[in-house]
Amino acid sequence: MREEEVPKGLKNDMRVWLLIAAVVLSVVMIGPGYSSEEGLNTDLNYGLDLEGGSWIQIKLQGAVTQLDADISMLVTEMVESAIDAPVEIISVTGDTGEGYSNDGNTVTFTTSTYVSGLQMDLLGLGESDISYSGDTSSIVLSTNKQTLIMQYLSQALNTEVVPLFVGDGVEYEIRTAVSLEELQVLMVPVGGNVLTGSDGAAIFREGVRTETRDMTRDILSEKLNSLGLKDIPVRTVGEEYILIDFAGTDLTTAKEIVEKPGKFEIRMQTTGNESVHVLYGDSIEKVGIVTQVDGSWNTPFTLDEDGAFALQKIAIETGAIADPNSHLLYMYLDDNEVYGAPLSYSAASALNEHPIYSWQASTGAEEDGKTQAEQLQIHLRAGALPVNVVLMGSGQVDAALGAQFKRQVVLVGLFSLLAVAAVVFRRYRKKEILLPMVGTSLCEVIMILGFAGAVNWQLDLPAIAGIIAVIGTGIDHLVIITDEVLYEGKLPSTKVYMERISKAFAIIFAAAATTTIAMSPLVVMGFGALRGFAITTIIGVLIGVLIARPVYGKVIKVVLDRAE
Amino acid sequence: MAAILTEYLDSFVRSCDDKKLIAIPLAVLVLSLLVSGFVFATTGAPVKLGMEFEGGTMIAFETQESAEALELAYSAHSLVDVRKTGDRAILQFGPMDSESQSELEKAITSKYSSVEIKQIGALYGKELQTQALMALCISFIGMALVVFLIFRTAVPSLAVVLSAFSDIAIAIGFMNLVGIELSLGTVAALLMIIGYSVDSDILLTTRVLKRRGSPDENIGRAMHTGITMTTTTLAALVVMYIVSTFSYLVTSSVSQINLLSDIAIVLIFGLVADLMNTWLLNTGILRWHVRRSTPRRRRA
Repeated sequence: MREEEVPKGLKNDMRVWLLIAAVVLSVVMIGPGYSSEEGLNTDLNYGLDLEGGSWIQIKLQGAVTQLDADISMLVTEMVESAIDAPVEIISVTGDTGEGYSNDGNTVTFTTSTYVSGLQMDLLGLGESDISYSGDTSSIVLSTNKQTLIMQYLSQALNTEVVPLFVGDGVEYEIRTAVSLEELQVLMVPVGGNVLTGSDGAAIFREGVRTETRDMTRDILSEKLNSLGLKDIPVRTVGEEYILIDFAGTDLTTAKEIVEKPGKFEIRMQTTGNESVHVLYGDSIEKVGIVTQVDGSWNTPFTLDEDGAFALQKIAIETGAIADPNSHLLYMYLDDNEVYGAPLSYSAASALNEHPIYSWQASTGAEEDGKTQAEQLQIHLRAGALPVNVVLMGSGQVDAALGAQFKRQVVLVGLFSLLAVAAVVFRRYRKKEILLPMVGTSLCEVIMILGFAGAVNWQLDLPAIAGIIAVIGTGIDHLVIITDEVLYEGKLPSTKVYMERISKAFAIIFAAAATTTIAMSPLVVMGFGALRGFAITTIIGVLIGVLIARPVYGKVIKVVLDRAE
Repeated sequence: MAAILTEYLDSFVRSCDDKKLIAIPLAVLVLSLLVSGFVFATTGAPVKLGMEFEGGTMIAFETQESAEALELAYSAHSLVDVRKTGDRAILQFGPMDSESQSELEKAITSKYSSVEIKQIGALYGKELQTQALMALCISFIGMALVVFLIFRTAVPSLAVVLSAFSDIAIAIGFMNLVGIELSLGTVAALLMIIGYSVDSDILLTTRVLKRRGSPDENIGRAMHTGITMTTTTLAALVVMYIVSTFSYLVTSSVSQINLLSDIAIVLIFGLVADLMNTWLLNTGILRWHVRRSTPRRRRA
């Protein structure tokens, strides 16, 4: 049944109510208020360029690769450089193939100079048995290929190298900048190479593992928190970038915060609340990956020579080796206690004999223990980052300048709207058209701001530029609607009117689709530098097309009907 | 102004044949491509790259000192350029190591007020270049796909895509002539041109292809609407450009907002180019296409 549609009043139109509701909700979200001290204020968040502050962008340097090398050449290369004398490999047992084996290898070698057990331990290649006959030392080393490759690379590149088992191979994460070519050259003296995948390309990529990137981010967050800077967001961008926004802090201070490590200290309890200093963070050589041993979570760490001897000395002096439970070991970061536990009995008795380099801080079982172990892993690093980083970019806008930008963009927005209104008025010369048009445009701006307030999203200069761009496209679309409706200069009957409105919207939707598509690459480009611009434009266009502009089509008809 | 322009353009379009309509904007397009091609041949980039893409440091602050005095004071730090607008000085530095960078920042922040710093590593700039190029390509291809989906006929869609391309090319040509560098702001503006330029083209194509009436009448009506659209947008942009660029003439301590100023000026170039490309290039191609496919309507 076809019925000539009765012109409904605006009051019965759902879309009108939707718009009113959206605008009211937006105003609530924007939360305008007035106080005599601050003047006009809102709940909106502003970006650093309007609020004042600084930002730092860093790139994590590293490479993840798979490697192979010859075991006897690895041992020869490393031991010779440590003892400064030639080494003769007698035998290598165990699996020497490309993959890895859990069994490990036993390497037997001799040299014509004296080699001490400590020298071998410091190399960190594995357990060694040394026997001497005359001038010759013969050494039986229990080790495995991944340990050898890891130690070789970490010495050659002076950085941490972390092996991780993946599938049937070992992946090495090198935590400093190294190119594929450099690595290939480096593997030649140890008879090795970078493995190639099934496609023939070398298994090598720049960057670090996601876990390492996240750990770096967490360390930075932790550090900022410990300095009382609670609301500083540390974000990861892509696999290898980290971005930090310091609201209200100048760039010089921000850089100092990022670069300066925290103060880490280990102390040992003497009596009651008293404790004595054992060592500082610079004695901690390496912090390992959290592991679970017999159900309990552990954070392994390695001390340097001074640290290991200092800990042994204090343990003996305080009597901890005899009675560990009344002489707890405490760890402090920036003077806050982060860990406290007794020495294990096995460690206590071992300290009686010799210093211990490799330690494990146990944090207990279950998820809770794991979380604590991971926390401790961060604390032990004392804010030192696990990976080499380079500064990619930084910036600062001071608060006074930000405030000035804010005033200026309000002026830009206001004047733009006035200019647009003037052009529209010159064209149509009817306030019945001008008022709804400007009103619709204003509603769109309010809704964009309301959306920004609702999702707690920071308005920065690019975002404001986006809003102005939306005013521009918005008015364009309203002009299309108006001209379509007033086709041939006068208001048509309701049926024709409906047809024309849908024609106008066909054009508007097409235009909105292209704008949205054109803007979308900016959401991710430039590490999000123009994300604000892209998102305001896209959201603005959507809000306009779906909520505001259809209502304009209704309102303009009613208003013009009445005027006629 | 819009009305006079529309009338003049309308009678011009009616009186010219399609070839002539198409020839004028194509000539401008070729000229712009030549300019950008020349810049590309001499510098390796189709438009001068700004600090964000080249790497370096920009420091702006409020001062009464003259540009010459500042140039002398900071000449030790790989200073590239000093500019002064009102009471604000903008210093551009080449790449430097992070220590001297920190020193410079400390020295300037402790001495001057309203400091703005922006530092971009050379590596980051390189990466931004690739990303910007990718963004432009993706954006353009996406737009072209949407246009083809809407019209589903080859010639009208190609006409829209060609005039969008021409808008961007002419805007880039203008940037080269006037000496505007490629910055994040100008990249955003170039992408925005893709969005804006298609609006009036879609309006024109829809009206001509899907309306009854002679092509000339439809073109005339579309032009009426389209030119109003473009002039309202231009009005907003001109105001945005003036306020963000010349406020310091009113209060000398006020800073320019480079981002807004860049976006506005490039969009202004693009929209002026769009007026020409929509109402001459696209119109010419479309009218030729319509008359060819409906021979009844051929002029006597």
